[in-house]
Amino acid sequence: MRNYIIKRFIYSIIIAWGILTVTFILLRVGPSSPVDRYILNIAAKGQNVESVKQAIEARYGLDKPLYEQYFLYMGNLLQGNWGWSLSTSMPVMDLIASHWIYSFQLILLATIFAIFVGVGLGIISAVKQNTKFDYTISVLSFIGISIPGFWLGLMLIMVFAVQFGVFKTYYDTSYPVWSLENLRQLILPVITLGTGELAGYVRYTRSSMLDNLRKEFVTTARAKGLPEHLVIGKHVLSNAVLPLVTIIMFDLGSVVFGGAYLTEIVFGIPGLGRVSFSAIFANDYPVVVAITLIGTFLVLIINLATDILYTYLDPRIRYD
Amino acid sequence: MTEVGPHVKHKGQTIAHFKSNLLRYYWERLKKNKLSLAGLTFIIFIAIIGLFGPIFTLDPTRSDFNLANTPPLGFTRQESIYDIKSNEFTTRIIEGRIDHPLGTDSKGRDMLAMLIAGARISLLVGLLATGLAIFWGTLIGVISAYLGGWVDNVLMRFTDIMMTFPFFLLLVLIVFVYGPSLLIIILVIGLTGWTGAARLIRSEALSLRTRDFITASRALGASDIRIIFNHLIPNVISLVIVIATLSIPGVIMAEAALSFIGLGDPMSTSWGTILNAGQHTLDTSWWVAVEPGICLFLTVLSFNFLGDGLRDALDPRTSV
Repeated sequence: MRNYIIKRFIYSIIIAWGILTVTFILLRVGPSSPVDRYILNIAAKGQNVESVKQAIEARYGLDKPLYEQYFLYMGNLLQGNWGWSLSTSMPVMDLIASHWIYSFQLILLATIFAIFVGVGLGIISAVKQNTKFDYTISVLSFIGISIPGFWLGLMLIMVFAVQFGVFKTYYDTSYPVWSLENLRQLILPVITLGTGELAGYVRYTRSSMLDNLRKEFVTTARAKGLPEHLVIGKHVLSNAVLPLVTIIMFDLGSVVFGGAYLTEIVFGIPGLGRVSFSAIFANDYPVVVAITLIGTFLVLIINLATDILYTYLDPRIRYD
Repeated sequence: MTEVGPHVKHKGQTIAHFKSNLLRYYWERLKKNKLSLAGLTFIIFIAIIGLFGPIFTLDPTRSDFNLANTPPLGFTRQESIYDIKSNEFTTRIIEGRIDHPLGTDSKGRDMLAMLIAGARISLLVGLLATGLAIFWGTLIGVISAYLGGWVDNVLMRFTDIMMTFPFFLLLVLIVFVYGPSLLIIILVIGLTGWTGAARLIRSEALSLRTRDFITASRALGASDIRIIFNHLIPNVISLVIVIATLSIPGVIMAEAALSFIGLGDPMSTSWGTILNAGQHTLDTSWWVAVEPGICLFLTVLSFNFLGDGLRDALDPRTSV
């Protein structure tokens, strides 16, 4: 087991390094340069463009050959130095430190919402298989999977913020992160991000429950006179939830890099998704590379943690 | 057993006859799923509109500022006008017009024409990118399963790495760096989106590899290439069709999301591009954000319904 964890950990580091390299090369090889933004401002003021350009390039080491920049960046990174953001003139780590909490909070709340509602509806749907309730939930879950998250967000804003004025049309950053006011304004983003996940969990839970309902130990439990709620709650549910753990954990990757990213943009939440979005447009490669790297590494570590957790949840599984 | 199935031998029938029977058998099974029939109908409808619609509609790029923000037929909108001579505000009621049945956007472009142009783009990107991705997925999956050994190891590790890569971020990065064009969007999705398909097809092909008919054809001296293309691929084709149908929604949504955040092809009108413009006029002209979203949602829903029905219909083991 220990060897397995170490092997997987090293593997994760190699993948993260590969992704870092690809991101770095993609951004640095492209036709536009991080200096472009500065030059536009300077040219407008009628200053000498060339000297300023050279000064900025020298300041950030952009005048060196690409491979040298890469090794410089890697060397700094290994010493714990994440470099400077080129568009905000802040150390990258400071930028990330002041924004990560918004993404974390959004993803955490949306996942909790999706798990509770999704798994709950899935269980009821399976128990009441082939009833009207089951069919309704089944169609609704198809709708939930098919609705584009960013459009759902827009529609929620239009109805609840613009028409009824229940929420603000912008994200107010003046509230403390965990205050009630801030949690209240996260209701629409959490629904937006959570709906797709939720619909998926309903379907997985339902089919996983149905698989287990047909097993012989369920018949045995019923035959020995156990009340139905104990049959479902103890025997079926505990077995059905296992595969869900993996699905939910592996889903986090697409939540972090797909849904949360767009949700932050639609609602103007100043999380890492939005930061990396504006960084891409500003060609601010140290920020983009850092956020991509941290995000990927987190997803990899969560995947590893899921595999380890699984051996405790299901003693039949061993990695040796 | 009265059921007609691919496992039932028909004496004295030609292969062509047998194939048409098989298609009819699948069609009979698919027809029982009303939701997927509805999905198929809508997809055909949207495809016909996308193909021939632009001939009959107005130019989707022609703007007419006198008719800007015309509501759809049957709706009205109030507009406050300030008259500079009399220094007075007058309220004007704008009604929907028959020549712009779905209204116009803030530049006075016809919504119907733009939506039809968008249908073309969505289907084009969806089909081409999925086709490319499924092609690679099938090839890699089948080769990996059939050859096994180090080839399998290398290909599957490569698939793992590709799967960890934050796909949407990669899409945003490449499209930003190399310029937004439909070709680049299709290529990026097509060359990165094959991982899930490769894994599923590999596991299907793995179970096929040990079957007797493969052993028999090897014993008869068939080459690896012949076995892969004449025996393995035809036998995974139904799985490929299902995976392709269920992959299209994700691709269509990715293109729409990309256009929505401002990275769409500026030379074409896509549903995402209209949504991008519509998000700023939620208070004055709601239809600009509502209509393309509904089109997008219904198309994605239809492919999901169809894919779900096909999965049951093409698998002779499930009863429909």
